[in-house]
Amino acid sequence: MKVLRSFRLWCVALVAVLALALATAPATSTAAARIAHLETLVKCPACEDISVAVSNATSAVAVRHEITQKVHEGKSDNEILTSLEDAYGPSILLSPSTSGIGSLLWAGPLCVLVVILVIGVRLARRRR
Amino acid sequence: MTLTWLGRIALYVAFLGAAGGAVSQLVALRAKRPARALWWAILALAGIFAAIVVMQYALITHNFSLAYVAQNNATFTPLLYSITGMWSALEGSLLLWALLLAALTVGVISYYRRSSSDEVVGWATAVLFSIGAFFTFLMMGPADPFLHNPAHVLQGAGPNALLQDNPLVAVHPPLLYAGFVGFTVPFAFAIAMLITGRVQDRWPLEQRRWTVLAWGALSLGIILGAWWSYQVLGWGGFWGWDPVENAALLPWLTATAYIHSVIVQDRRGLFRVWNLSLAIATFALTVLGTFFTRSGVLQSVHSFSSSTLGPLLIGLFFFTVALGVVLLAWRGDSLRSPVGVDHPLSREGLFVANNILFVGFAIVVLLGTVFPLLYEAVNGTQVSVGTPYFASIAAPLSVVLLALMAIAPLVSWRTVDAGVLWSRLRVTAWSAVGVVALLVAFGVRHLSVLGAAFLATCAAGAALRTLRGALVAAKRRGSVLSAVRAPSTGGMIVHLGIVILAVGIVVSTSYTTRSEVTLAEGQSTVVDGQYVSFSHFNEVKDALESSLQLEVRVDGHALVPAVTTYNGRSSTVGTPAIDSNLLRDVYVTFDADGASGAASGAQVQSNLSARQVVLGVTVEPLLAWLWIGGLVVGLGSAVSFLRRRHNDEAA
Amino acid sequence: MKRTILVASLAALVVIVAFSIFLGTRQPVTDATDAPSPLLGKSAPAILGHELGGGSFSLRRELGHVVVVNFWASWCEPCVQEAPNLSTLAWRERNDNVVVIGVVFDDPVSAAQAFATHYGSLYASVLDPGGAIANNYGVTSPPTTFVIDTKGKVEATLLGAASLSQLVGTVKRVQG
Repeated sequence: MKVLRSFRLWCVALVAVLALALATAPATSTAAARIAHLETLVKCPACEDISVAVSNATSAVAVRHEITQKVHEGKSDNEILTSLEDAYGPSILLSPSTSGIGSLLWAGPLCVLVVILVIGVRLARRRR
Repeated sequence: MTLTWLGRIALYVAFLGAAGGAVSQLVALRAKRPARALWWAILALAGIFAAIVVMQYALITHNFSLAYVAQNNATFTPLLYSITGMWSALEGSLLLWALLLAALTVGVISYYRRSSSDEVVGWATAVLFSIGAFFTFLMMGPADPFLHNPAHVLQGAGPNALLQDNPLVAVHPPLLYAGFVGFTVPFAFAIAMLITGRVQDRWPLEQRRWTVLAWGALSLGIILGAWWSYQVLGWGGFWGWDPVENAALLPWLTATAYIHSVIVQDRRGLFRVWNLSLAIATFALTVLGTFFTRSGVLQSVHSFSSSTLGPLLIGLFFFTVALGVVLLAWRGDSLRSPVGVDHPLSREGLFVANNILFVGFAIVVLLGTVFPLLYEAVNGTQVSVGTPYFASIAAPLSVVLLALMAIAPLVSWRTVDAGVLWSRLRVTAWSAVGVVALLVAFGVRHLSVLGAAFLATCAAGAALRTLRGALVAAKRRGSVLSAVRAPSTGGMIVHLGIVILAVGIVVSTSYTTRSEVTLAEGQSTVVDGQYVSFSHFNEVKDALESSLQLEVRVDGHALVPAVTTYNGRSSTVGTPAIDSNLLRDVYVTFDADGASGAASGAQVQSNLSARQVVLGVTVEPLLAWLWIGGLVVGLGSAVSFLRRRHNDEAA
Repeated sequence: MKRTILVASLAALVVIVAFSIFLGTRQPVTDATDAPSPLLGKSAPAILGHELGGGSFSLRRELGHVVVVNFWASWCEPCVQEAPNLSTLAWRERNDNVVVIGVVFDDPVSAAQAFATHYGSLYASVLDPGGAIANNYGVTSPPTTFVIDTKGKVEATLLGAASLSQLVGTVKRVQG
C-alpha cells in the first residue's frame, strides 16, 4: 500500500508539472506557425527530397511566397495543399493524399498497430 | 590490356575459390567427412585481394586503360580520393563487398575450425561460399570493373564532386558494407540450423556475437553517413528518408529486433522460429538494399542499376526469401518451443513489443519507399513520399521505444510485480519529473522537448541502474573489469548512446532557426544570437578545382563556405561551413552573390551589388550530441561483443 | 498447427513472387522529370540577348511558334547527352513551327563556344550575362528545358537530360 501511495503522489506531481507547462504555453496557431508547418509538407520543385522549408532554390522560394500569400488570404491548410497539388501535380506534396491508392500508405501502420493489440490481448489472456 | 586481363584473372581465381569451396562443402556434407574449406576460402580471398591490388594500382597511377578509372579518376585527383574511387561507382563497390565477404568467410572458417565436422558449420560455410561466388560472378559478367577503355585518353573524368570534398568517403562505405556483409553470417547459420534441424545449445548466442559486430559497424556507418550528408549537402539536415537511406535502415531495424529477441531465446528457449526468420529477413533486406542503391553513390531510387544487374539482384533476393520460407515451412513445426510468454509486461513480453515495433516499422518504411513505384505503375503519375510521412510514424514509435527502454531493464523475467518495479523506478521517475519541472521553469514549452527529456531521463536511469548493478556484482566477485562482460553492460551503453542521440535530434529539430543575411565585404551582423561577419572573397584555382570562397567569421571562429567546381567532370557543389560546439552548431552556406562574373554556380541575384553576398545561416542547438551519441552506440556494441552467457557467472 | 504454417508459407511465397516480379520489371528512369514549376500556365519571362555566333534573339519575336528553351552549360555532364537530342529535334521540327533556343547557364563565353562548336548544334544559344534570364526562369541546375506554346505561356518543364522521344512527345502535347 505504501508503494501505491508513493506512485500516486508521483503521478500527481507529473500531472501538475505538465498542466503548468500547457497552461502557460503560448498560442500555437499563429499564422507564422501555420506557414512554417505547411512549408515542411511541400516539396521543393527542383530538388529530390527536401521541402521548401529548407531549400533555397528560386522555385522553392516562389512556392514559399505562394503559401504565405494564401495563408494571409485566409485559406485553410487543406485548401492550400489542394491548390498546390492542382497547380504542380501530386508529386509536390511530400506526403501523398490518402484517397485512392494513397490509403495503402496509412493502412500499413494501422495494420501493425492492430497486430500489436491482438498479440498483447492474446498474451494477456494466456497468462497463468 | 594487361591490367584488364590481370584483374579478370584475379576475379576468375576468386570465383574458383568460392564456387569450388561451395561444391567441396556440399560433397563433403553428403559423404559426411570434413572438407578442406580453409584452402578454398584463402584462394577466394587471394583472388579478390589481387583484383583490388590491380584496381588500386590503376587508380593511384591514373591508368586510364581501364574504363572504370577513366570515369572515376583524373590525373589531379589526390591520393585519398584515388583510393576511395574504388567504391565511388557500382563495379568497384562490388570489389569492396566481395573483399569483405571473402575475408569474413576465412574468418568464420578459422574461428570454427575445431568444429569443422559439425554439420551446422558445414552448411553455413557452404552458404557463405555460394553468396561469395554470386557476387564474384556479378563482376565477371554484367558489372565488370576491369573493362578495357578502347579510347586512348589523357585525362579522366574524376570522381563525382560530392565524393571528393570530404574525407568521410573513406570510412562511411566500408563501415556500411562491413555491416551488410556481416549479416551474411547469421543468415548462413540460420539456413544451416534449419537444414540440420538443430536450433538449440550454443548457436543462438554465438550468432548474436557476429550480428552485434555487424550491427555496430552498420550503426556507425549510418551515423557517419548522416554526419557526411550534414557537412556537405547544404540544408543543415542529416536524414532525408531518401530511398537509399531507407535501404540501409531496413536491415538495421530487423537486426536490432534480432539482437533483442535472441536474448530471450538464450534465457528461456523462446522465439526459435521467429529468430531464424529475422536472421534470414535481415540478409534478404541487405540484398534488397543493394538492389535499390546500385552502388556506393547515393542517388535516388530513380537511378536503377544497369538492366542486367537489377533482375540478378532481385533474383538473389527472391531465392533467399523463398529458400527461407520453404525451410521454415518444413522445419517450423518441429522447432517450436514448448513454453510461451507468461505475462505481456514481463521481460519477455516487453521484448515481444520491441520486436513488433521494429519489424512493423521496417515494413512501414519498406512500403513508403516502394510506394512511388506502385503509384506510378497504377496511376501513371509521380508522387513523393518524404519526411512528413515517415516522421509522423517514427515520432510516436520513438516515444514508445524510449518508454520500453525505461522499463524493460528493470522488469523481471516471467513475472511482474508492481511493487518491485516501482521501487526500482522510483528514483528515476522523480528525477524525470524534476528535470521536466526545471525545463518548464526555464521557459521550455515545446511538448516534444519536455516529453523527450522525461523519457530520456527514465531510459538513462534504467540503463545506469543496470550498469551500477553489474559493477556492484563484479566488485563482490573481486574483479571490477568483469562488469564489462556482464550480460547487459554493452546493451546498456548502447541504450545510453541512443538516449543521447534522441535528445540531440529532438532539441535540434525543435529549435532550429534559419535565416538569410545579405552582407557586403567587411560587414557584420547578428543573426539569432550569433555574430556573423563577412570579410572578403577568395578565388582558388588549381589543378583539382576552381572555387569561390568566402572568408566568414562566426563568433570569432573562421569559416570558409564556398562554391567549388571540380575539374574533369566539372560538376559544381556548394560547400557549407560549420562552427560546432557542444551547445550549438552554426551552419553557413554561400547562397548567392551579386554576379561577380566568376563561373561560381552560386545563384545570382540581380538586386545585389557585385561585392555583396547572401549567406544562409542555420543555428541548430545540441546537434553535436547526435554524433557523440552515435559514438557511444558504437562503443556499446564493441563491449557487447564481449558478453558472456547468462549462466557463465563464474567464467 | 502444421496446416497454418503451410498456408502462411504459401501466402508469403505468393507475396514475395509478386513483389520480386514487380521490382524486377521496373525500368531505369532515363528521361527527364516533368518538374512542377511555378511558371506553368503563366507567361514566359522575356529572353533577350546576343547569340553565341553573333546576332540577337528575342522571345517576343517568336510569338506564334512553339519555343523549346534549353538551359545548358559546358561543364554539365547530362547536357552533353542531351545536346544531340535537341539538335535532332530542331532539325526535324524546323518546318513545323517549332523553334529551339539554348541559353548558356553560368559559363564563360569561350567554354560555351567550344561546346557548341564541338556538338555542332543545329540551334542557336543565347548568352545570359549575370544570369538574369536563368534567375527569372528559376533555373538552378542545367539541363532544364521549358516548352512555351504559341501564345507565350509555359506549358511544360523538364528537369534533367531529356530523351528525343520525350522531347518530341512534349512538343506534340503543347502543340495541342
